[in-house]
Amino acid sequence: MSGPRTGWRRRVRRRGRARAVILAAVVFASVLPLAWTIFASVGIHPNNTSTPPTWTLAPTLDAYREVGTAERGFWDEMAASAATSAASTLVTILIAFLAAYAFVHSTMRRKALLMQGFLVLASLPVMAYAIPLEDTVRALGLHDTFAGLVLTQAAIFAPLAVYVLYGYLSEASFDFEEAARLDGASPWRTISQVVLPMNAPGVVATAIVIFVLCWNSFLAPLVVTTSRVRTIPLAMSDFFTVDRELEWPSAAAALVVTLLPLAAVVALSHRTLRRFLLGRFDIS
Amino acid sequence: MVGVFLLWPVVFGFVASFTDFSPFEPHPSFVGLANYAGLVSDPYFRAAFRTIGIFAGSAVVLELLIGMVVAWLLREPFRGRGAVRVILLLPWLVSPIGNGVMWHFLFESSAGIPNHVLALLGLPLQPSPLGLPGSALPATLAVEVWRAAPLAGFLLLPGFGVIPGELWEQATLEGVPLLGRLRHIVLPYLRPLVLAVAMLLAGAALGAFDSVLILTHGGPGTETLTPALFSFQKAFQNNNWPLGATSAWFIVAAVMILGGIYAALSRRRPPR
Repeated sequence: MSGPRTGWRRRVRRRGRARAVILAAVVFASVLPLAWTIFASVGIHPNNTSTPPTWTLAPTLDAYREVGTAERGFWDEMAASAATSAASTLVTILIAFLAAYAFVHSTMRRKALLMQGFLVLASLPVMAYAIPLEDTVRALGLHDTFAGLVLTQAAIFAPLAVYVLYGYLSEASFDFEEAARLDGASPWRTISQVVLPMNAPGVVATAIVIFVLCWNSFLAPLVVTTSRVRTIPLAMSDFFTVDRELEWPSAAAALVVTLLPLAAVVALSHRTLRRFLLGRFDIS
Repeated sequence: MVGVFLLWPVVFGFVASFTDFSPFEPHPSFVGLANYAGLVSDPYFRAAFRTIGIFAGSAVVLELLIGMVVAWLLREPFRGRGAVRVILLLPWLVSPIGNGVMWHFLFESSAGIPNHVLALLGLPLQPSPLGLPGSALPATLAVEVWRAAPLAGFLLLPGFGVIPGELWEQATLEGVPLLGRLRHIVLPYLRPLVLAVAMLLAGAALGAFDSVLILTHGGPGTETLTPALFSFQKAFQNNNWPLGATSAWFIVAAVMILGGIYAALSRRRPPR
């Protein structure tokens, strides 16, 4: 009947199918290694040496029991990771929020260039300054302390947080702030009861990203701690490099246990996390 | 605080790179460019430099390309879009150390993924590519791309929301080819975001350390030795503090050069 119209419909449908195929491939590639690991941790894994390959299907939680016995301090290390990451995130967000707020309101020129500078600092790899960092933290008497690690991590991730929070704050309207100020609210009250609640989703999304980065960071705790504060990535690396006898199921179980807290945080907050924006797009 | 823990070490490292300063040296003295000369003549450092060029260059290009395609396909709402967005974050949740441990075992013969595919096809099993010259670097690169490319897609996605849809539709109706539309409509709006994501990815790739340490330890030979790994080994394993700090300063220099390019490219204003 209407030839061009059906042709157009077909093309749209074909395009939709191509999109589904590519996205399915990306999802599959992202999930498969993780699923393989989860299955291995409960004793389900293939035996590639037999032809055709067979699968061992004997679900067991032995590997999980082994994690706590093979690495005696495992649960302490989980707690240390959680405590230092949470504290680092809190300090980072507090400082970065105040800094971003100050930058948004300052009358200085070339703020865009300053923000780009923060992003460049954020992308600077830790190894670039890890060696003098160790020395600095030692000189401050903070080596191998909770505070030393927290301050170090906060310093490492603050530039990224400033960049991101500046993006949110500069988009927000100043009207309510102005109203609060005219009603005689103190600056502190304006920030904590007007600006912060208005930007809460963005701040929470940023905090989650920073928490994940802290939880996973390796080099910073490696150089500023030795034994009293031990986080999970350190323990995992030692465990893997020192005694090479690590078995796949127990390694998989350890991986799953260390990934669970992050997966839980992301699952609970995925709606907020979707608001994560890497800066304003017209920054220039 | 950023000044004390981040800027001070960078500056101090730069100054110290001209001396034989180390925590074990009571009277550091000025040695001029001796550390730099030592590095330039060090075959390991030269190898690390070459490796990171290949590694970072391919990693950033691949991650950006995959990220752009994924973000492009997710730009319009459809059922399941939210789930796909969350899934994109999953590989990034694995720590670089955990990622190294995971792929070490996945690449292994008896219970891993590549060999399972080979076994299904009835082909002979292969040893882990991480130990083979010629395939260790591509394998390390693949592990890095697996972790970062979906994240790039997640970060780039909001950028497509700011492109005015009517402009795109109008150009489509007027018969502007796809590449032309991408270049003149999509790119100008996406540019600041793409540049920011590229900067972060480039920094991460230049500092490649954690997963390489676990996967190959720089081997076989020097095939996957990165400057970060070189610097780490010099300073913390050979106790050669001056050489370690000096080589680390090369990473700072590389990031600063890229940062300058990034700032210069970001200067141009988007269309209004």
